[in-house]
Amino acid sequence: MMLPPIPIEQYALDNGLRVVLSEDHSVPVVSVAVYYDVGSRNEREGRTGFAHLFEHMMFQGSENVPKAAHFQYIFNSGGTMNGTTSSERTNYFETLPANQLPLALWLESDRMRSLKVTQENLDNQRNAVQEEKRLNYDNRPYSNAFLRLNELIFKNPANAHSTIGSMADLDAATIEDVQEFFRIYYAPNNAVVAIVGDFDAAEARALVEKYFATIPPQPVPPPVDTSEPPEVAGRHETYLDPFAQLPALMLGWKAPARRSPDFYPLALAGDLLLEGESSRLYQKLVKGDESVIAVQGSIGERRGPSSLYVFAIPKPGQTTADIRHAIDAEIKQLAAEGPTAGEMEKLRNNLLNDSVRGRQSTMYRAQRLAEYALYDGNPELFNSELERYLRVTPEEIKAAVARDLDTDNTALIEVIPATPAGAEGETPAPASEPIPNEPEQEPGDPPPQVPPQPPAGPTSPTDPIEMPTAQAEQKI
Amino acid sequence: MNQTETLVEAFRREPPAPLAPRTLTLPRPEETTLANGMRVVFVENRRLPLVSYRLAFLSGNADDPPDLPGLTDILTGMLNEGTATRTSRQIADAVARIGATISAGANSDYTTVGAGALSNYQDETLELMADLSLRPSFPADELELTKQNALQNLIAQRGQPAFLANERLAKVIYGEHPYATVAPTPASISAMTRERMATFHREKFIPNDAILIVGGDVEREAVLRRVEELFGAWQPGHVEPARFPALPKRADRVAYLVDRPGSAQSNIVIANPAIKRTDPDYFPMLVMHTILGANASSRLFMNLREEKGYTYGAYTSLDARRAAGSFRATAEVRTSVTGDSLKEFFYELSRIREDLVSEKELRDAQSYLTGIFPIRLETLDGLLDQLMQIRLFGLPADYLETYRERIEAVTRDEVRRVAREQLAPDTAAIVIVGDAAAVRAQVQPYAETIELYDSTGQGKEK
Repeated sequence: MMLPPIPIEQYALDNGLRVVLSEDHSVPVVSVAVYYDVGSRNEREGRTGFAHLFEHMMFQGSENVPKAAHFQYIFNSGGTMNGTTSSERTNYFETLPANQLPLALWLESDRMRSLKVTQENLDNQRNAVQEEKRLNYDNRPYSNAFLRLNELIFKNPANAHSTIGSMADLDAATIEDVQEFFRIYYAPNNAVVAIVGDFDAAEARALVEKYFATIPPQPVPPPVDTSEPPEVAGRHETYLDPFAQLPALMLGWKAPARRSPDFYPLALAGDLLLEGESSRLYQKLVKGDESVIAVQGSIGERRGPSSLYVFAIPKPGQTTADIRHAIDAEIKQLAAEGPTAGEMEKLRNNLLNDSVRGRQSTMYRAQRLAEYALYDGNPELFNSELERYLRVTPEEIKAAVARDLDTDNTALIEVIPATPAGAEGETPAPASEPIPNEPEQEPGDPPPQVPPQPPAGPTSPTDPIEMPTAQAEQKI
Repeated sequence: MNQTETLVEAFRREPPAPLAPRTLTLPRPEETTLANGMRVVFVENRRLPLVSYRLAFLSGNADDPPDLPGLTDILTGMLNEGTATRTSRQIADAVARIGATISAGANSDYTTVGAGALSNYQDETLELMADLSLRPSFPADELELTKQNALQNLIAQRGQPAFLANERLAKVIYGEHPYATVAPTPASISAMTRERMATFHREKFIPNDAILIVGGDVEREAVLRRVEELFGAWQPGHVEPARFPALPKRADRVAYLVDRPGSAQSNIVIANPAIKRTDPDYFPMLVMHTILGANASSRLFMNLREEKGYTYGAYTSLDARRAAGSFRATAEVRTSVTGDSLKEFFYELSRIREDLVSEKELRDAQSYLTGIFPIRLETLDGLLDQLMQIRLFGLPADYLETYRERIEAVTRDEVRRVAREQLAPDTAAIVIVGDAAAVRAQVQPYAETIELYDSTGQGKEK
């Protein structure tokens, strides 16, 4: 099956703003995605969480748009919007009825050229972000332990610290920090605007020119060093979790940078081990051994050194040592024998299905186009990356597992419930001592993105165990 | 921080006018009924080489046998664990090999099996979906494993404050009504047997209570022929109309405190019984809910987050189901402002009952609801979900065509009338999951009574 390419037009304004347009007239909506080349990897020491706090400030008003009016203009025009921060970038995006494209460009350009900050708004958003941290990490089982896992995988602080940051660093952020960050990173030459949907290209080009061309460029931001030594930063820790009802096991590895030649086969190996009920680890641990109630994991894709993690919840009476041994054995088998022909067919069809399904949404396309333009300078990758994945051979997958999932170079956290189920009110079990020579644990530090919690609503079948994902991303 | 101080650009001062509107072409689904009573809805969309299916039944968790709460959930979870001709492993491999997805689930009112695939695998996918839905075998060893894991999941979910809040709220709002149940119990899980499952499946998974929706890059005649082959011999059964007890009458405002020692926040839910989905006031309620709390420009968000900074988000939810409903206002706030947050919640609940909303608020809410409508129809699955809900709730056939008119017809007076009729702050249930010792005194001024529970759901000494 061949997928027809989507039309892609790419150009840059004189001020360096990169623009990607893709017309599609099937539904009268338009999606705009603005990506800035700044994420938590750019944060300096003492200011963890700042890129995300700053993202909140981008909704607090600019020269012609009052505080909170951004939300209102978008919603009141029948649109949806959000902003998110990851280690790699900060993005702002909206989907609107097609005829509201000028509104989106007016709003995005006004804050790119003239953000306004006040102490009152900074204090207010600091509070909102601290509640976001409590909601998604501090008050939830397993989430902070997962942030800790990242610190065991990575040695370089640029990679190891979380996007949500620490309470103390959030408290320390000042107005001057906000102004400096805006000047350095929120310039047109450090951003991409992608527009996908039901518009006329000539009209869109004229609107982009009108709203963005007069915003002056800034000096290129300082480079980021994300280099890592091959070994993980820490091998083994226990984590006393105040809210987990059941113990858990977390394993983490370093992985190659996204789009590097070694990344593609490792990503597919991760799918074979972890994706769905036909995956090797599900079939081995949940089904065959019946040793865990759930196993999950994925690859955390970054421009620099990336990671792969596995998360499992043992059944009563099972030891984490036995479960780790079983996981290691599965990895070694894949490294020794490689995937089967049936697994290669499965990978191929799933790649195709995911690729086609994702294309339905204009927002999905806008976000991928913006990423490829920002990270790789080449939005055409949207049309060619599928082919790149389909070219991966079984031998490459086998070699990637042997090379990158070294069972001796693994970070491991055992999560221990502080108050085991049924023991409420009793004295908490004593914490296991961390293995000597490991860094001190900082409770309340970094993490996995757990999906934002919907308001308590009607009964629906939900997975009672919300598991973290490696793509740490905070929303506004 | 103006990077362009030297430029005066007057065109930036006001939001730009929209361009000429572009029209939305609504899909035209066709519907037919098989001899055994199964309704089949077909909608062609050739934009991409995809197909999606939904098989929906008009019974859900509320129809569980009284002695086996959670049976529908566990049963739907077992559909892919074995059929008359396939093992669990064979199903998992067969679905994965063609890159398809098949998932089954239930809510309180409905049970659905959904599937999606590349259109070149449409036949295989529909055949697998039919096999799972019609011929599950509930193998003994798989049932035993499912039960063991379900028992552990019951323990795990008590670590989630949102689960604890939802559990307590459902009990106090719905009382004897089956909507009061949000999860199986250890006793019900232990009591589930292959025989009970097979019998229940035979009674509830019947064609005369089912709707199959097919959409995407498919050819009408070929699909209908295949549907007839796969589902035509399925024998109809007897549909027992559900009779549910009434909701408890609430006489005063009570706080239900679920103690979670050391909790980093208070999860607050304020609720009262409200309309069901088919109520004629659904559209005014939807507009009122949008103004009060549906999104990040609604009153609650603007007040509790953007002005006060108490929370990451404060929202309302319109929990309008087939047989009953509730209206809920929620936020997760830091422990020290639990009382202050209750003050703002009750201020907003009372303001929208007392004063007419402004013309602008009404217009903005209407424009939001009519504008996001086409975004939902962007994907095949979004479209199929709309078509399914219309049929499951028995909404008018022209629902999609008239949706925007119905939103636009709502008036300020109607918004206030439904707020007065459907919001009951004086008799509301306040559920708070948090550190009871730290919040109890803060809650005292806002409730006539406080009941205390522990995180296992049991009542505690005061």
